[in-house]
Amino acid sequence: MRHLLLIVLPLLVIFALLPGVYQNHLLLFNFVIFLVLAQGVNIIYGFTGYLPFGYVGFFGAGAYGFAITVMHYHASAPMAVLVAGAVGVALGLFLSPLLRLSGAYFAIANMAAALAVLHFVANPALEDITRGPYGVSLTGTFNPTLAYAAALIVLALTMGIVVFLKNSSFGLALQAVREDPVSASMAGVNVVRMRVIAWLASALVAGLAGGVYAWYVSVFFPDNVFSSDFSIFAIVFALFGGVATITGPIIGVVALYGVYNLIGFTTPQYFQLIYGLLIMVLVLFLPAGLVSLATRRGWRVP
Amino acid sequence: MLGRTIAAFTLGMTVALPAIAADAPTEIKIGTLYASSGRYASISMPVHSGLKLWIEQKNAEGGVYVKAFDKKIPIKLVAYDDQSNTATASSLYNQLITQDKVDILVADSGSVLTAPAVAIARDHKMFLFNQTGTGASFFSKDNPYIALMADPVSTIWPKPIADFLIHDGPALGIKKVAILYSTNEFTGTQATAVRKFIKDSGAPLEIVYDQGIPTETTNYTVMINNIRKTQPDAVIHLGYAPNDIALLRNIGEVGVKFKMLFSIYAGLETELLEKNVGAKGLEHVFTYVPPTDLDYPVNFGMTMAQYRAAWNKTYPDGKVEFGFNAVAGYTTALVIEKSLSVATSLDQLELHRAVFSLSGELKTLDGTFGLDEMGGQIGELTPLGQIALKDGHLKFVEIYPHDANNSKPVYPRP
Repeated sequence: MRHLLLIVLPLLVIFALLPGVYQNHLLLFNFVIFLVLAQGVNIIYGFTGYLPFGYVGFFGAGAYGFAITVMHYHASAPMAVLVAGAVGVALGLFLSPLLRLSGAYFAIANMAAALAVLHFVANPALEDITRGPYGVSLTGTFNPTLAYAAALIVLALTMGIVVFLKNSSFGLALQAVREDPVSASMAGVNVVRMRVIAWLASALVAGLAGGVYAWYVSVFFPDNVFSSDFSIFAIVFALFGGVATITGPIIGVVALYGVYNLIGFTTPQYFQLIYGLLIMVLVLFLPAGLVSLATRRGWRVP
Repeated sequence: MLGRTIAAFTLGMTVALPAIAADAPTEIKIGTLYASSGRYASISMPVHSGLKLWIEQKNAEGGVYVKAFDKKIPIKLVAYDDQSNTATASSLYNQLITQDKVDILVADSGSVLTAPAVAIARDHKMFLFNQTGTGASFFSKDNPYIALMADPVSTIWPKPIADFLIHDGPALGIKKVAILYSTNEFTGTQATAVRKFIKDSGAPLEIVYDQGIPTETTNYTVMINNIRKTQPDAVIHLGYAPNDIALLRNIGEVGVKFKMLFSIYAGLETELLEKNVGAKGLEHVFTYVPPTDLDYPVNFGMTMAQYRAAWNKTYPDGKVEFGFNAVAGYTTALVIEKSLSVATSLDQLELHRAVFSLSGELKTLDGTFGLDEMGGQIGELTPLGQIALKDGHLKFVEIYPHDANNSKPVYPRP
């Protein structure tokens, strides 16, 4: 409860108020989307140790779940967002055998799975269903204000899941599984069930985020919503701040995505140099993320 | 009475002119994105360089003439690097509109990086100068805030290829056609169009191979062997430049000689392909004849020869290839310039009216500028040609349509 009041609520209030003072709403929306995705990575990587390089697969599937629901069933946008979340979970279930793999093998297999989903969606033979490679236009449901509000609700849900994992015996059991699955199993933890639940929760939030993104952007191609940049950014932001914490990914997104946009707006010609150096410095000196600055001193970071 | 009228007119002009001068902005802000890195850099940078060249040229002349203020006004370019990242592109487009408050919004090159701008521009009621985003989903009758500047819409672009196969193919002995295409909007739509044109024509042509493959494909060996098994008389490959490079390299390695091979970028980005495939690898390839080789008569802006000279002077290092995309960027610039010279205000719907008023009238080095009612570009269909190698240099031979015919095709390929 303390974490909800001190971290989640202020975060939501800030992002709810910001559109009133800053007009680039799409930038704020992207912040919210990356907060959701970074926390989604946090759920699966921070608490179970599975690095999801193909995390964008859930996001893109959610976006197309939204699009198909709107195009073919003429559903309302909020309903389509729920379907997007369900599509994310369904894909997570389908891909759950990947959890048998670990380390780099899982990361590569997950990336391959995301590519497979992309090419399935972009297949011209499915033009009647997904519009194949030709892109979708959902201008009928376009409503930036409501889509932004929906993104905040998805962020609230995601933060709620992370707070639960951080404070519950379930989350503790997950971390035990991450550290040593054999010992955790011997202690009575159902390793497979734990991992699958975390995996599906992670898929759910990415699917919902994809649905909300499709709602806001409304005109997109498979390459737009299955871009590996989403996975890379979400992973980098989560790692930058520090995983297995509530605040780490938030710090990561706000700091790194903030700097990313600041450089992009002011000195785009030096973008890659500055951003690359920044990440190199962090990897070399703060491999456990920014929160390690505090934890090294013995401070407890939520 | 006459005296009073003249006096009133003089007084009116005395009052009105300073008002116009006072209202005129000190600069016209053109906002755009470019991709200096990533997957779309090779198509984005030439387009962006073409636009920049025009801006430098106009500013050196004191600015661009703006009819709304009856004066030349310097141009300020606000350009951000989206690095081929669509999420970044979306927030940067929004930045241009909401923070930089640009007067004119120009999309990045290609459909994928144009897509994030379409809904944003419409939402903010900003007219989008869509440079090369041919996506059919961008255009609708109820959206007046977009028009395609340079490329023909993909649904009609490949008509000359299909027409050649339909009208000239049977006489040449072309009966079996293979279509290999990358599954993205640009080339997928062209494949659909070729297929439809052939089927609707009733010509004695059989499509013996019709396969879409991921755009990321870098090895075509399997596909080449599969196509060879069908013994086609013509192979139509529709892919991006990297796809064409990979295919042509693999064809050379495998040692296959298809009787007829069409590739898009052999013509559109010849310099790039020659660097990667070699002149010999492009010999006898059928392709779109680029505007750089057509020398269209112009009624506005530089001729192709003048533009090429200006390009070589501005970009002497040759890092950005001069080709179809370089022409597209300059074409967009000319449409902007001409629109500003006829628009009576900078209101976005007035810009829409001004741009559409140029349809059929404006003739640039890219040919006739023509728009359909939804803003799709239909002005100039790129002719079909074939690449010849003469004295070590590549040369385009126009094949179809016949009114632009320079020579007969070399068929089958020796």
